[in-house]
Amino acid sequence: MALKFLIVDDSVTMRRIVANSLKTIGHDSYSEAGDGREALAKLNSDNTINFVITDWNMPELSGLGLVRSIRSEPKYGSIPILMVTTRGLKEDIIEALNAKVNNYIVKPFTPQILKDKIEQIISTVG
Amino acid sequence: MSSVTNMQNIFQKLGDLKSFFLFGQKIIPTFQMIIDFMQDTVPLLENVNQSIQDSTSKIPKAALQLNSVTNATEIATTEILDTIDGIDNELTTIKSCLDTLGTHIRQQRTVINDISGKMNQRELAEDLKKKLNHESIEGEIGTASSKIDKIQEGMMNITLSLQVQDITAQQLSSVNHLIQSIQFRLSSLLTDMNNKDNRDSRDFEQEISKNAAFNPDAHYDKEHKSQELADQLVTNNFSKPSQEEIDQLFAQK
Repeated sequence: MALKFLIVDDSVTMRRIVANSLKTIGHDSYSEAGDGREALAKLNSDNTINFVITDWNMPELSGLGLVRSIRSEPKYGSIPILMVTTRGLKEDIIEALNAKVNNYIVKPFTPQILKDKIEQIISTVG
Repeated sequence: MSSVTNMQNIFQKLGDLKSFFLFGQKIIPTFQMIIDFMQDTVPLLENVNQSIQDSTSKIPKAALQLNSVTNATEIATTEILDTIDGIDNELTTIKSCLDTLGTHIRQQRTVINDISGKMNQRELAEDLKKKLNHESIEGEIGTASSKIDKIQEGMMNITLSLQVQDITAQQLSSVNHLIQSIQFRLSSLLTDMNNKDNRDSRDFEQEISKNAAFNPDAHYDKEHKSQELADQLVTNNFSKPSQEEIDQLFAQK
């Protein structure tokens, strides 16, 4: 399955690093959003997006808010979501899992970690 | 009998009165000391007030400076990433040229073999290949390619280390938030000192919510300890319960 990613992060630097890492592991197709609200707009307008990589702490609509909004929307509610964040506390990770993220990466990450998580998600979701 | 009792009561009251005056005589110097202390304290409080006013007026500038630091590091990081991407593209081009060179050498070798085969001149072909230094050139191409791979790997590591910019930006946002909270508290204190209504300042609550645009606990952990915890929790979350766990659950019921 060809993957088109939506990279959601308020940091230009992080969006760039995630994009570069995706290229390194062989994924060239992606779109970007600076916060959760913009991400929802992109998901509504571009139905080729089939994988979301999102940060947690963002203005307007946080990553957690974005995950909940996506999961409550029948149109794209089952899209795989990978959270990439600085939040590494146990309660944060559990909260994200309860919100139904498919996997979780704590920054800083390596392309190998990103690759592993994407593959894990794909093998689970199908 | 009753006049004696009355007199006793009067003497007792006089005794109480005397004690009160004696207590008053003792306490008056203390009162005087308190008044003196308060008179001394007033200029001190005025100084404190002035100092708080000065500090409060400087806080917005400090907050702005922190924002400038974040913006400057983000611009610098983007420039570094641009440069890295530029070098990476150049290296990819060089690598592609080396691959093409390798292909040409293989083609040359095939042509030499074909011609020498047709002319039945195997020795001439081997001699020609030696003179053209094919093996040595291929070795150099291989070395150069692996060096390029190492440089690209190093540049990828630089890119990954630049994640520190996002992490420090979040830490600076957290400090900024703290500074702004202090400003509100100091403003509130100043308003109290000037006997003004201060409801707005008192209502100001700066609890950092989970929806804030920064993480106050952000830190640069290259050992990936938090990732190990996340992996463990994700595995536990998605793993199917074992038959033993199911049996235990039913046994509890």
